Amino acid sequence: MSYKTLVGLEIHVELMTERKMFCNCKNEFGAMPNTNVCPVCLGLPGALPVMDKEAVEYAIMAGIAFNCEIDRTIIMDRKSYFYPDLTKGYQISQSDFPLCKGGFLEIDSEEGAKKIRLERIHIEEDTGKQIHTDNGTTLLDFNRSGVPLIEIVTKPDINSAEEARLFLEKLKNTIKYIGVSDVKMEEGSLRCDVNINVIDEENNIKSNISEIKNLNSFKSVVKAIEYEEKRHIELLNSGKNTEKETRRFNELTGETILMRKKFQASDYRYQFEGDLTPIHLSDDWIKQIESSMPELPDQKKKRFIEQYKITEYDASVLTQSKELSIFYEELASLIGDSKLAANWIMTDVLRRLKEEDKEISELNLTAQSLAELLNFVKSGKINNNTAKKVLREMLETNETATSIIEKHGLIQISDEDELERIIDEVISENQQSIEDFKNGKDRALGFLMGQIMKKTKGKANPNTANKILIDKINGN
Amino acid sequence: MDITSLKSWELREKILKKEISSYEVTEAFLEKIDEVEDEINAFITIDAERALESAKIVDQKIMEGKKVGILAGLPVAIKDNIMTKNLRTTCASKMLEHYVPPYNATVIEKIRIEDGIIIGKANMDEFAMGGSTETSYFGPTKNPRNKSVVAGGSSGGSAAAIAAQEAAFSLGTDTGGSIRQPASYCGVVGVKPTYGLVSRYGVVPMSNSLDQVGVFGKDVKDAYIALKSIAGFDPLDATSSKKYSLEDINFEEISLKGLRIALPKEYDELRVEGDQKIREIFENKLRVFENNGAIIEYVSLPYLKYALETYYLISTAEVSTNLSRFDGIRYGHRALEYNTLDELYINSRTEGFGEETKRRIMMGTYALSQGYKDEHYKKALKIRTLIKDDYDRVFQNFDVILSVTSPILPFPFDSVINSPVDMYKADTYTVPVNLAGLCAISVPMGEVDNLPVGLQITANRFNEKKLFTAAYGYERSAK
Amino acid sequence: MITKEEVRNIAQIAKLKFNDDELESFTEKFSLVLDFVHHINSVDTEGVEPCYGISDENGFFKEYDIDQTLNREEVLKNTTESEYGYFKILKVVE
Ligand SMILES: [Mg+2]
Ligand SMILES: [Zn+2]
Repeated sequence: MSYKTLVGLEIHVELMTERKMFCNCKNEFGAMPNTNVCPVCLGLPGALPVMDKEAVEYAIMAGIAFNCEIDRTIIMDRKSYFYPDLTKGYQISQSDFPLCKGGFLEIDSEEGAKKIRLERIHIEEDTGKQIHTDNGTTLLDFNRSGVPLIEIVTKPDINSAEEARLFLEKLKNTIKYIGVSDVKMEEGSLRCDVNINVIDEENNIKSNISEIKNLNSFKSVVKAIEYEEKRHIELLNSGKNTEKETRRFNELTGETILMRKKFQASDYRYQFEGDLTPIHLSDDWIKQIESSMPELPDQKKKRFIEQYKITEYDASVLTQSKELSIFYEELASLIGDSKLAANWIMTDVLRRLKEEDKEISELNLTAQSLAELLNFVKSGKINNNTAKKVLREMLETNETATSIIEKHGLIQISDEDELERIIDEVISENQQSIEDFKNGKDRALGFLMGQIMKKTKGKANPNTANKILIDKINGN
Repeated sequence: MDITSLKSWELREKILKKEISSYEVTEAFLEKIDEVEDEINAFITIDAERALESAKIVDQKIMEGKKVGILAGLPVAIKDNIMTKNLRTTCASKMLEHYVPPYNATVIEKIRIEDGIIIGKANMDEFAMGGSTETSYFGPTKNPRNKSVVAGGSSGGSAAAIAAQEAAFSLGTDTGGSIRQPASYCGVVGVKPTYGLVSRYGVVPMSNSLDQVGVFGKDVKDAYIALKSIAGFDPLDATSSKKYSLEDINFEEISLKGLRIALPKEYDELRVEGDQKIREIFENKLRVFENNGAIIEYVSLPYLKYALETYYLISTAEVSTNLSRFDGIRYGHRALEYNTLDELYINSRTEGFGEETKRRIMMGTYALSQGYKDEHYKKALKIRTLIKDDYDRVFQNFDVILSVTSPILPFPFDSVINSPVDMYKADTYTVPVNLAGLCAISVPMGEVDNLPVGLQITANRFNEKKLFTAAYGYERSAK
Repeated sequence: MITKEEVRNIAQIAKLKFNDDELESFTEKFSLVLDFVHHINSVDTEGVEPCYGISDENGFFKEYDIDQTLNREEVLKNTTESEYGYFKILKVVE
């Protein structure tokens, strides 16, 4: 049998504006409960919303980054439902007129480049937070209430868990590039719901869509899709079908469990938000935003290939995260060698990141500190193997390359004047060995080299020292 | 001299000339309140102490020769759906019986800047839903002109406070006639300004696309002063106008000559059940305008026929979401008994809201629900556009529209109105004004069976100047 | 006509409750009102834009220099129960 999996994602991204979406409370994570709240975001009787300009600007930036068509009028709607973290009994959102329509994001799937189309991106406000305590109470904090969000809705163009992961990675990376959110899933600034169903292509049967909520990491998204895919196929195989329902992913068991059937779903009774007079956006403003957009991953990749003459593969890896791409460019410019910089990041640095599952910013390493090390290599003062060891120690101890190299005396003495002086000393102190060597005792040369190394504590560049010694003995 | 019987503009002059102090005026009104309030019930909360304190501060300013605001230390009654910081604000509902707001509505800030003295919070229909102030959790307000009939509503307390001389000015809110109708019933002047002229920030919405804060006064000049104090752009209200403000008016220069007056013929066709005698007075009063050189013509606004239904659908739809925030969690009545989240909501709301409020929430929920939204709510939004267009067309050629304010007389308490539909029809003349966002005023035009009746003048959006011109010209000539 | 069951369902969405007598009289009045509002269905609104606000002016964005944030005492003073700076309700996990 041949099955095709259809996955659509709904992604909520918190925008890192200075203030909340409809009031002047600070938009910050981790403040004391209920200290960043006001009549507006608390939904006090009589309070009214006024739109935040930065939030709209950020949403437009996202729309541009994802190739959407930007609507020229902002019309907001009320989406009604009751929940303790929702202060007004409705969320100010967009229904009929999303700010951004269409658009797509290209991923590098196993079968090559693939466009995942977007349905829309709309703007809305976030809710507060609930804490369920052990002693039978629920505590409510509204600091997050009214934080601006964009909701990105894809078309069901994603056909596997792996594609979903690639899409989310690319989306996260792109948003980081434009800097409108810190997209931290663990802090809730990026949240993702999955819509999934399966088509039995031979019998032309579709399973009903399941919506999966409560996904706290990309790993959970992947696992939930894999689990659901299997569940849908098994049900279709046994001649049954899934039901239209909302399910919750259980991180401990890796399974999804039924939350509610879709027919029980609330009717959101969307209504035009009359408190917000529609705002017409000028073409000039949109153009201004467009022209001030930072470079996006695909653009940067192209530039890296041209400017730094690195391979497409390297360029694509180096631009996968904004921080890494910045790190690379700094390093390349500091050491004046784009290929050496690429090689080191692609091998030693990335291996380390993978091992420790970290971002570049979390390592004991800056472009400056790595450049310091690589300059030793470039000038031949230490060799590659030594440098790798030094890097390891740098990451462990957070010491500079210079201090590690000095501490362990790793610099080779290649200076010929200095070596000559030392070799002259060794020669005058070991006349007998000189004689022995001249008399054909090759072993004597080894002894002499040993004396040189002893005097230089092993730092003499062996090739240079050997050459000088033989020249001297031969009287040149 | 009975201080409270004077017009506010007269009192204002006396205070500024230091013939009388704000303290004395405030005291006089408080005494009047003591005297009549037991019977009238125009107030839910009286703030005597702080009122006197504020009066002292204004007097101090006057003594020191400092600039004094336009309200010049005169006492103002505030409808109880307008947020007053640290002064209980109930919306006349059990839901907010103990609610003490932590912030001021913008209009309250403005009144303070203009040196108005907030004397108390006026009674109203619960959450401004009703036309008689009988749905108040704190009991009905009686009509000072005849205590066996209602004061009108929903701003019944604000209107009665002026008629009973318990305040110099008062603020009300008007969603479909809630200022003009009680003004008419109590024989005072009431203004519903253009949507967007006065900030709604801090005003508990009933129907937020229709609501507007307005004022009551003893006469047209009083009403103008009160409106001047609260009008103007507010960055906290995204529906407030940046472009328009309330123009200065020189009342001495006002003339009705050449004023172009429109009479919608649809009003005659609508066959509103009402008092023929009110109709007769209205036709008589038209002569006052004509005799002073105004030009009167009949016009047609075809979509007025659908105004009541449109109003009803839009207002209830908005009511249903505006009142969703009252869930008993962050403020307001919370039921003692609940085991599930649903019970927390249902019990708190069912206990906290009165009948009429619940009825309108239900209708609005229905109008917005799946399968009905397009034929109800969305259709109504489109007809609203048609009604607005009708008015735009008329105001290209006319300055004002005249009608009665209410087709019925102030009615006795608990008068059973069998059909809710008949009850809505009493709002025929006031409701379209809110749908089109226009400004309108009700001025007393006489009495029928010893009960006051009002004349409604309507002008185009942000054309308050024409409104006051027509109203003052009429008031002066009709004396 | 609207049925009692439909009215009950709307009440559930609106988070309200009515006893049987109330429901009875309510359903009756509701039906009258519905007949009344259905009048608007006869209006031809083909090509008419819904009224999204009565204003002819363009909307505006927020001004940043207004401080609206409340201190926590003010935030919590009107609630029935609070604890550790949070609003508190009985645990009502779905
Ligand atoms: Mg959403
Ligand atoms: Zn806030």
